Amino acid sequence: MRAITISGSVQPRLTSGVRLQTDSVTSKSVLLYPEGIIELNETAHEIVSRCDGRSVAEIVQALAKEYDADAAALASDVRETLFDLHRRKLIEWT
Amino acid sequence: MRIPRPYALLAEITYRCPLHCPYCSNPTHYCGATASVADPEADGRSADPTTALSTTRAIAEKGELSAEEWKRVIREAAALGVLQIGFSGGEPLARRDLEELVRFAREANLYTNVITSGIGLDGNRVRALRSAGLDSIQLSFQSDESSLADEIAGASAHRRKLDVAAKIRDAGIPLSLNFVIHRRNIDRLRRIIELAESLGAQRVELANVQFYGWAFLNRAALLPTREQVIRAREIAAAAKARLAGTIDIFYVLPDYYETRPKPCLNGWGQRYLTVNPIGDVLPCPTASSAIPYLRFENVRTRSLDWIWQESESFNRFRGTEWMPEPCRSCPQKEIDFGGCRCQAALLTGNAANTDPVCEFSPNRALVDAVLREINSSSDHVRDWIYRVNPNVKSSVA
Ligand code: SF4
Ligand code: SF4
Repeated sequence: MRAITISGSVQPRLTSGVRLQTDSVTSKSVLLYPEGIIELNETAHEIVSRCDGRSVAEIVQALAKEYDADAAALASDVRETLFDLHRRKLIEWT
Repeated sequence: MRIPRPYALLAEITYRCPLHCPYCSNPTHYCGATASVADPEADGRSADPTTALSTTRAIAEKGELSAEEWKRVIREAAALGVLQIGFSGGEPLARRDLEELVRFAREANLYTNVITSGIGLDGNRVRALRSAGLDSIQLSFQSDESSLADEIAGASAHRRKLDVAAKIRDAGIPLSLNFVIHRRNIDRLRRIIELAESLGAQRVELANVQFYGWAFLNRAALLPTREQVIRAREIAAAAKARLAGTIDIFYVLPDYYETRPKPCLNGWGQRYLTVNPIGDVLPCPTASSAIPYLRFENVRTRSLDWIWQESESFNRFRGTEWMPEPCRSCPQKEIDFGGCRCQAALLTGNAANTDPVCEFSPNRALVDAVLREINSSSDHVRDWIYRVNPNVKSSVA
């Protein structure tokens, strides 16, 4: 697997024009952007809903605390999800 | 058949437009002029053409949907599951109540997009749209510089568009640019992409012209040559690679030069619906003019829910049951859905046929004949007919 390098101090944010919302039909989270919609799985939802100015490291900490999980294991999930959304231009680094 | 839920509504709020692009996908005529075309598959189930004709006339006389009627459509769409709405036309800014409709859609939790030529967008309206909650603007350009761009638009527009792009950017509204590519501007693709870069767009659509509406009428003047297409494809691919990470570039291929058809959205009646200015609900924006024998229902007489679920026009090509050979036994059928129903109707007279662009279509020779004619002729610049506004009464002064 490709190693994903995102510094822990980077602050991920939804790219301007991208909106996080609940789909009232499925009750799932979706990202809406010009001419597109993607459905988020639960992990992605938990991560994206915390992209509010916090750094990657802070997001990992918050999730580890909330789910009583191992931060190191979580970190790779978080990075992978963010990397994927960044590649699709739905998340930007600030 | 399980009926899916729709995701996006295209609200064509007016056919009025200050520009006259010869490739406009709006209908070339209206008011029932085509209602007497017979259904090639009719076995007694098609609507009585005289009824269809008078209904269309009656609707045309009532004019564009009012703001209140559009609000009902938006409410019903949101209830059906629609998450996104694109306001288009014609030129949506031609309606002074655009901001009111955007606000209403935004309050119904829809993602709102305005698809515009930019003409009529001054600083005040940009701010009003921003405060109505508009999520994104898609601005169209005709070319990279004003003499050619204005010739294509049939109006002096290019400089105003540059100014509008700057205003949109300053207001912080995410900007996508759209260029329709055809024989007269395809050789300028490199400069068109440079313009997009300089305007700070997040996303650029370079869409080779598709032959519906006015573009179908003007096909001989708009279809590029094979040589042009090959060069443009290389330029687009290089730009896409170079700008990856900065601007998303979508290059829509000229399908006549392909051997497989473009997929019909996500399938007919699967994810999208269009409501036109007089309230007809269409499975695809070009269906009303390309498939005149389908009877389209109107929001003034039916609920959106009924039209989506029950109407013949939405069910006619849903799924794969309706397909003839060669699509019926083709492994691609769930991927391209047999191509475009509108193109099949325009080229063969029967919307149920395999899209003639497909190499397996028994009608591919129709497309090849057009390509042969274009590629063997030496008159590069041919006359086209400029789009004119249809005679539909507007409800807003
Ligand atoms: S019928 Fe053709 S124009 Fe209409 S949505 Fe399908 S592919 Fe597009
Ligand atoms: S035969 Fe039909 S399904 Fe197969 S590739 Fe052609 S259009 Fe698509």
